[in-house]
Amino acid sequence: MTSEQPLLEVDDLHVRYSTNGGDVYAVNGVSFSIDTGINYGLAGESGSGKSTVAEAILGLLPENGAIDRGEIRFKGENLLELSAAERRDVLWEKIAYIPQSAMDSLDPVMTTGDQIRQAIEKHRNVSETNARERVRELFDMVGLDPDRTEEYPHEFSGGMRQRVTIAMALALEPDLIIADEPTTGLDAIIQDKILDTMLDIQAQIDSSLLLITHEIGVIAETCAELSLLYGGKVMEQGSVDNVLINPTNPYTMGLKNSFPEIEGGDSPVSIPGSPPNLSRAPSACAFTERCPFSTEECEQSHPDLMELPNRNHRSACHHVEQAAQMRRDATEPETWGVAVEAENEPETGDVILEADNLRTWYEQSQSLVSKLRGKDPTYVRAVDGVSLSVRRSEILGIAGESGCGKSTLGETMALLTTPTDGELVFDGVPYEQYRDGNMKEFRRKLQIIFQDPFDSLNPRQPVRKLVGEPLTIHDYRTDERTAAITETLETVGLPTTTSFLDQHPHELSGGQRQRVAIARALVLDPDFLICDEPASMLDVSLKVNLLNLLRRLADTEDIGIIYISHDLASLAEVSDRLAIMYLGRIVEQGAVDSVIQQSKHPYTNSLLSAAPEKDPSVERQRVLLEGKPPTPVDLPDGCVFAPRCPKATTECHSAEPAADAAGDENHLAACYFPDSEHDPISAEDSSTGTESVSD
Amino acid sequence: MSDFRRFIAKRLTVSALLTLVSVTIIFFVLRLLPGSPFETLITTGNLSPEQAEEVFALYGLDKPLWQQYLVYLKNLLTFQFGYSILQSRPVWAILGPKLANTLILLVPALVTTAVVSTAVGMYAGWNRGSTAETTSIAVTTFLRSTPVFITAIFLLIAFSYTLGWVPAFGMRRVTATPNGLLDTYLSIDFLHHYLLPFTVTVLYYSGDFLLLARNGVVEKKGSEFLKLHRAKGLTENEQLVRAGRNSLLPVVTYFALRLGMIFQGLILLEVVFGWDGIGRALVLAIEQQDYPLVQAAVFIMALAVIVMNLVSDVLCAYLDPTVTANGGAA
Ligand SMILES: Nc1ncnc2c1ncn2[C@@H]1O[C@H](COP(=O)(O)OP(=O)(O)OP(=O)(O)O)[C@@H](O)[C@H]1O
Ligand code: SF4
Ligand code: SF4
Ligand SMILES: [Mg+2]
Repeated sequence: MTSEQPLLEVDDLHVRYSTNGGDVYAVNGVSFSIDTGINYGLAGESGSGKSTVAEAILGLLPENGAIDRGEIRFKGENLLELSAAERRDVLWEKIAYIPQSAMDSLDPVMTTGDQIRQAIEKHRNVSETNARERVRELFDMVGLDPDRTEEYPHEFSGGMRQRVTIAMALALEPDLIIADEPTTGLDAIIQDKILDTMLDIQAQIDSSLLLITHEIGVIAETCAELSLLYGGKVMEQGSVDNVLINPTNPYTMGLKNSFPEIEGGDSPVSIPGSPPNLSRAPSACAFTERCPFSTEECEQSHPDLMELPNRNHRSACHHVEQAAQMRRDATEPETWGVAVEAENEPETGDVILEADNLRTWYEQSQSLVSKLRGKDPTYVRAVDGVSLSVRRSEILGIAGESGCGKSTLGETMALLTTPTDGELVFDGVPYEQYRDGNMKEFRRKLQIIFQDPFDSLNPRQPVRKLVGEPLTIHDYRTDERTAAITETLETVGLPTTTSFLDQHPHELSGGQRQRVAIARALVLDPDFLICDEPASMLDVSLKVNLLNLLRRLADTEDIGIIYISHDLASLAEVSDRLAIMYLGRIVEQGAVDSVIQQSKHPYTNSLLSAAPEKDPSVERQRVLLEGKPPTPVDLPDGCVFAPRCPKATTECHSAEPAADAAGDENHLAACYFPDSEHDPISAEDSSTGTESVSD
Repeated sequence: MSDFRRFIAKRLTVSALLTLVSVTIIFFVLRLLPGSPFETLITTGNLSPEQAEEVFALYGLDKPLWQQYLVYLKNLLTFQFGYSILQSRPVWAILGPKLANTLILLVPALVTTAVVSTAVGMYAGWNRGSTAETTSIAVTTFLRSTPVFITAIFLLIAFSYTLGWVPAFGMRRVTATPNGLLDTYLSIDFLHHYLLPFTVTVLYYSGDFLLLARNGVVEKKGSEFLKLHRAKGLTENEQLVRAGRNSLLPVVTYFALRLGMIFQGLILLEVVFGWDGIGRALVLAIEQQDYPLVQAAVFIMALAVIVMNLVSDVLCAYLDPTVTANGGAA
């Protein structure tokens, strides 16, 4: 099958960054090849060098990054030998790129349509009208409203911006699309739909895809082959079916274990320890410090990738012949030196935060002309009557599609936005009292962690300053600053070396940035945490670490936590109670097991069915939702979900169901016709006989 | 009322209040200064104390202070600046030409330096660490921190006295008696006199724009959106343009503010080059305590600063799509 020339070959690639604190050996001999028409996955923990490989292929390495060795051949041509101008011609025309952080990747002062048009006009000699037409077509293709091409990036939600970058990548129908975490940070439904669109179009235009992600589930569903990176080395490589079902490398086994599942009985087990030290080229097996099967041999040299007989499967491990035995042991948490904590009943304390009928409405932006004419503004009802309460030691999960108002709710509860209406009580004190002069106290006690790590970190400050700054502002633990910083960095699993403390945000990997943002919040020992998608940029093992960390904070420090996410698997893992949000309202809320296993609201059902399945042999049943949520401006009467609800009746269209229309006080749903009998998960139960880790 | 209108209304109110405060301060400060505008005239015997009384009454200066103040405000509001005490000519007839002289020198110079230094600054920021960057910063910072008259004198010595390329003093030949606007400002003779002060002004202001533009580009340089532009195949220069466009905001704001401030003239420069501008006129008028003249000049200056402040706010809202009218980011 490999008789024809591969589309892309990466051969023994070495990339090194030079920083003030010394060199970083980010990629240390990576080789793989992608055949025409193949979807190829690149996975691995944060900092394993995935993005660096992508940037090397695209010629986008920052100035301090250098390719020390290796070749990158595209259709047989070595890209590294091309001149700058020749290289530019290859970019986008042949190889397009979907960047990791769509939030910051669009030019803020250029309309989204123009940015796509720019890509087209740069490479094709087309008239402006035709280019515009093409942009509209692309918008339509990726599910954006073609009439919104004249809008600026900040008018789009995260998911929509990601669609813009995808539209841009598809514009010239390239041979290869390199997508760096294209759906990370998007909610499950949108992720599902975007992947769907992407694969669909990609199949139509017959291009290959290099998909970089830490979500093994996504790779399992979309790719035919993959490579797993660790410490800049390929640990295991081959066809997705072989590698994920029968891993032969301890690293893959560990990664698979740490992938949380919505309805997995076992808690996920993360690989203990921290990522390898990259300040020198690895001389031992890169994974040896964290590998439970490590022997003396492993200390001597990094194992070569070895071809396993008779299948498309390669593994770099000295003990690959014992794979079957290791696979068995790897499912036991004890193997990884992780004590299994007895599932202790959550002891929740007093109510610490309570919201009653909270509303936040935004005035919609108008054109300059209508502003001057004084037209009455319309309002976006981002949060529209939310009531909830959180106790100490309790984690409340809030789930929902992007644009449903989750983030606004978080910001409102953190008083970053003033509520339009309703009540909010924190620690027994209504929010008005904090607002009138006690903001500082409030800001120390209640911390919010944002979705977008890059936006919230000052690019000019080193890690030391970033984490220490809150201490200065709040005059907290100033006499033991260094100790406080070090402790917190350790808590979030970051290195505490001087060189790391001196690094600036742009020198960190996506996951490292997010953890710095988390450390900034934790350094003040808050009473309450609001986490807005804190883990969306993190790879599985870090995500599990973070979830465990939050759980521990809730249990031992008695703090209350609100965890906002679209990732139901993580939410199910970490929360005590779960609230499902749709169009500014909470449509279902209750104890987490009850909501997941006996979901009542039709919307919750469709959310549950959109989560990807990490086992490639399992076919997932999707309940794809038609359309997207309407903009919360002119809402129809009746149930807000009615336009998309498969069960809607005339009754649903005439009056809105109250938040407690169904269920009891432990589990409420705003629906006239709740699903009560059937278990929505049973249709896709994963125990279908294949060798799966969660047995 | 929409938010945007409210925003404009608020800015206008604040501007009006600021103007009021500044003209009030100048009114009282002038009155509190010892002496009176007629002191010199009286001491030199050109004016008898009785005549002085008369003129005093004529200008309303014998009335109680609060009445004078009210009249003063009313006149300012209707742009009636009155008559100069010492020159017995309408204030506007005195100040108008001087203001024109100042603006004709400073506005083109400011625009030139804003465009050129910003472009150079952006280039310098893009090529961070290059000799072009370090030299341009060193040179312009040096020029900025050297008092403007020293640069001026230095250039005078070089180009006027040594090389004799341009005249050293004044706005035109002493014999010239231009009539008409065209003749005044568009003659070769005027250009000849214009070049040196123009150059000095350009150099003097270059440092601010250069640094602002350079810092903006440096900050934008590592950003993710530029990476995507690069991935799209934009050339270095095209990327630089995008980085520049993204860091234009502070430059434009600063330009608008500076533009408001040049209504005060550059006194030292006007003195060195014998340029008959508003700065010199103001100093002279203060010395002579010519109340109406000083008040009018100060009013115009304050108004210019305040109006340009307003303009810069509106410009910001226009240039940066994320700035909403209520001041926050959307
Ligand atoms: N510009 C830079 N300067 C110095 N070091 C860098 C730079 N960019 C990345 N690194 C380092 O190189 C290593 C690999 O980073 P890379 O961004 O490739 O990781 P990644 O696998 O994409 O991680 P993530 O999943 O978190 O995005 C990390 O240790 C990171 O700190
Ligand atoms: S070579 Fe040794 S240390 Fe490395 S993965 Fe295999 S068993 Fe573990
Ligand atoms: S109330 Fe009706 S429309 Fe709304 S979710 Fe329930 S069944 Fe669907
Ligand atoms: Mg990355």
